[in-house]
Amino acid sequence: MKAEPEQRLDPRAKLLWRLTGTLQAVPILAGGLLGSYALATQADVLPYLTVLPVLGALAVAVLLVFVLPPLLWRRWRYEIRPLEVDLQRGFVRVTRTLVPMARVQHVDTRRGPLQRRLGLSTVVFYTAAGPNEIPQLAQKTAAEVRDRIAELTRTADEL
Amino acid sequence: MSFSTPDGSEERRIHPAGMLLAALGTVRRWIGLAAFPGIAALFNGQFGMQTLFLVLLAAALLALLSAVWGVLSWRATTYRVAGGAFHLKRGVIQKSERSLPLDRIQSVDTVRGVVQRLFGVIEVRIEAAGGGGEPEISLPALSRSAVQTLREELTSGRRASPKIPEEPAPTVLRRLSVRDLFLAGLTSGQIGIAASVVFGAWQTVNELLPSNLVERVSESILPRAFSTALLFVFAVVLFAWAFAVLGTVLAHAGFTLSRSADGKYLYIMRGLLERHEATIPLARIQAIKAVEGILRQPFGLAMLRVESAGYGTEEGVSTILFPLLPRKEVEELLRLAVPRFATSLDNLEPLPLRARRRYAFRAALPVLLISALAVFFFFWGLFAFLFVLPAALYGLFRYHVAGYGLDGDQLILRFRRLARMTVIVPRRRLQSRGYSVSPFQKRLGLATFEIEVASGSGGAAFRLADVGAETAEGLIEDLSDRSGRLSAQGSST
Repeated sequence: MKAEPEQRLDPRAKLLWRLTGTLQAVPILAGGLLGSYALATQADVLPYLTVLPVLGALAVAVLLVFVLPPLLWRRWRYEIRPLEVDLQRGFVRVTRTLVPMARVQHVDTRRGPLQRRLGLSTVVFYTAAGPNEIPQLAQKTAAEVRDRIAELTRTADEL
Repeated sequence: MSFSTPDGSEERRIHPAGMLLAALGTVRRWIGLAAFPGIAALFNGQFGMQTLFLVLLAAALLALLSAVWGVLSWRATTYRVAGGAFHLKRGVIQKSERSLPLDRIQSVDTVRGVVQRLFGVIEVRIEAAGGGGEPEISLPALSRSAVQTLREELTSGRRASPKIPEEPAPTVLRRLSVRDLFLAGLTSGQIGIAASVVFGAWQTVNELLPSNLVERVSESILPRAFSTALLFVFAVVLFAWAFAVLGTVLAHAGFTLSRSADGKYLYIMRGLLERHEATIPLARIQAIKAVEGILRQPFGLAMLRVESAGYGTEEGVSTILFPLLPRKEVEELLRLAVPRFATSLDNLEPLPLRARRRYAFRAALPVLLISALAVFFFFWGLFAFLFVLPAALYGLFRYHVAGYGLDGDQLILRFRRLARMTVIVPRRRLQSRGYSVSPFQKRLGLATFEIEVASGSGGAAFRLADVGAETAEGLIEDLSDRSGRLSAQGSST
């Protein structure tokens, strides 16, 4: 068995994840600020403790926007082989999944509004157990991957 | 009860008992509303003539409206089989018409509830294959002959060949004996749930009755002594146990598993007051689970379940194949009922020794964290640490059970989630396979092996934590379609 699948996602994936990370970070930061404000005005605590919520929220925000996207991108790999799709992903827990072509029922590409702006696309393929995704591929690559899976699914069924 | 349509097929209505069933259904849905003024009055402590009148009025109104609704919805519901599909029209205000192609029909099950038995009618449930979240069709009341006709129409459309005039009777594979029925109830492990129900009921009664009455009753039953309090707890447990037995008896009395003559379908008949008849097409079975509950394993008893695709959207994802049988006889029954899944449940490979501490640690960690938190808040939280050791022991207990095996085309996984579970999946039923590695596992060269099978309208995943990393990779390789074909060729030459 091969060490790792060969293909990577599009490098713009990092930018997209930074953007979605920022969107997630905003409410977290707001929550942190609110927490600190509440501590400073309401509770009878040591002054240096009041900054803790803001610092915590800031740490999470930095993680979401700056740290995670490149790490996730480096880990995410895929490979379309004649008999199966090989996926590897995950940051702390690394997951490897193999989906036999003969079990794939149909394939889609999907694009959200942010993805459309960046020219990215997600390939979704379904088995009887549910969907599997290869996110953030360049639009052209995504179309190729989709067509290739569809093609291979057909030949795998004939086997 | 029927009239012709342009294409010659008949539009049929369900049995008039359907009116009553629809009305009862409506009553059941809205009864809370009728009872509402009464409950409100009870809580306010003023239950006079006025509230009684209100309750009666609401009840009468509800009964009347339900009856009208029952008649209307009965009139609006018609079905027919035409053009290779089953058609159902229904809806009083919002009309709907559903068509289900006959080749998509997965099974035709029948249920006879108490009310249905009173009128000698049968509820028919038609299950569709796949199609994610599409609800099954239910015809609440059909006469015996109508069921017969419908069954023939539905199955004759499915079989391309001319209909066989008299289908040979299915062979009975196994019946649940009365002794095993009670044994199943006693060991069902639902005592906990039943106990909480009993206790909850007691508390509700406590709140509803005038307080001095409860006090007087409980004083006469419960003298202050500690021993009698213990007796009380004992009584609750006993009562709950009886409850659990009753539930099992109602659900599984006369459980009979049989197989059609052509070997393509399994039939399950069960139930005391409500007779259930279910059909499971063998081709749709994805995985078999042998479940040995905590109370059953010591006696060598197990329950068999099937994971079946596009089935049981209502009853959760898996169906009981047989409620209780000796573990030794599991293999035999599998060979008779689902030959493709027949394999020995023993001779599994154990996990590597280095996985032991991972299991102990994984079980103990949440308890440790909770204990630490408890100590942080109050001193007596220290006692929480007493539970760390039992938790770790439970982890070891899980480790010793865990194992895997590959018997020809069958993958066998065993793990413990309180009950000991053994899952059998043929290679061709694996929708995906893989493994995941956490940083802790990486250090020890371990991985969590994961598979997915189709189940219901979605999927079910099974995981085996802490197999050797090289074992996980080996299993994944051995389970590929490629090696499957090679071994098939090897055996054919």
